[in-house]
Amino acid sequence: MVKERETLSEYEAGRYQRQLPLWGVEGQEHLRCARVLVAGVGGLGTIVAAYLASAGVGFLRLVDHDRVVISNLNRQVLFQATDIGREKTAAASERLQSLNPSIRIEAIPRMLDKETVDELTQDIDLIVDALDNFTTRFLINRAAFTRRLPLIHGAVRGFFGQASTLIPGLTACLQCLIAHSPPPEVFPIIGGTCGVIGAVQATEAVKVLTGKGKPLTNRLFSWDGQVGEGTILIVERNPHCVICGGDSDKTALPLGDRNPLAGGNIILSEPHKGK
Amino acid sequence: MIVTVRAFADYREIIGKDTELVLAEGKTIGDLLAELGDRQPALRREMFAPTGELKEFINIFINGRNIAFLNDMGTPLVDGDTIALFPPVAGG
Repeated sequence: MVKERETLSEYEAGRYQRQLPLWGVEGQEHLRCARVLVAGVGGLGTIVAAYLASAGVGFLRLVDHDRVVISNLNRQVLFQATDIGREKTAAASERLQSLNPSIRIEAIPRMLDKETVDELTQDIDLIVDALDNFTTRFLINRAAFTRRLPLIHGAVRGFFGQASTLIPGLTACLQCLIAHSPPPEVFPIIGGTCGVIGAVQATEAVKVLTGKGKPLTNRLFSWDGQVGEGTILIVERNPHCVICGGDSDKTALPLGDRNPLAGGNIILSEPHKGK
Repeated sequence: MIVTVRAFADYREIIGKDTELVLAEGKTIGDLLAELGDRQPALRREMFAPTGELKEFINIFINGRNIAFLNDMGTPLVDGDTIALFPPVAGG
């Protein structure tokens, strides 16, 4: 596993100059040593992955079984017209690698389903939900809560979007929040909505990984782009939830002893345990 | 009793952002939604199937807890409750 260092290279000090004041070398090292799964490389996934790559998250696993189609291009800004027909993970990883040559990217052009979810969530510190259906979201939610990994939920439709940070042992899980999954649809969507929610998710991810700021725990951020307004809804766990009910084992927090709510001391002495 | 209904996403367009309603004691969330549906047929069409049942994928929270984990449509309301109505937002 990657061992944290005490200083940055000259390249990194220059590259991350504008964010170091927020979390210092220590925070930057937490990002470099982090392994993040971006589940879905579409409207949300392209935005989140771009910001996480630029910020120096050391390892990104991109999972998406789709190829780029022309209707993706109204919002999936990592892709170009010449990418039509290519595997999304291949096109995205190429673009992300050129954004930040110093990180590692793993492109997995496979479907996330109940056969593959265990394998694809192995050796990961944090999961970003950039999926387009709740069936798969619920699978990821179960995996996150079994493995005790933070899960940054995001969803969009038209001018509207939502996001929340789900932490096993601390917050509601997705099953407590969203009881039922809607039927699949070809949903209307614009770039700006993906931009807002993707950026919120990327911000949440770096807050959890660095321990800075206050993540959206037990809070659902709801964006109404139609009028230009964000709202927070305070949400609660279901104590009888089949996934997370009764789980208040705060000693088994994700990412070693980090408690994102404390927003302070982070100990990443125990690298990811790969449960 | 007075309860507040906060509507999100598409529902906001139909009934507005925040609505305060006066209800008789002992009413349930089901009663509230029926009342809202009466006032605003567009909402009823969005939220209810022709059979009169709430569409399965709509998420309703009372004070932050999804009614699916309370008593569903039979969950009683009390004075001061805040009800949040969320249509499905599932894309990515």
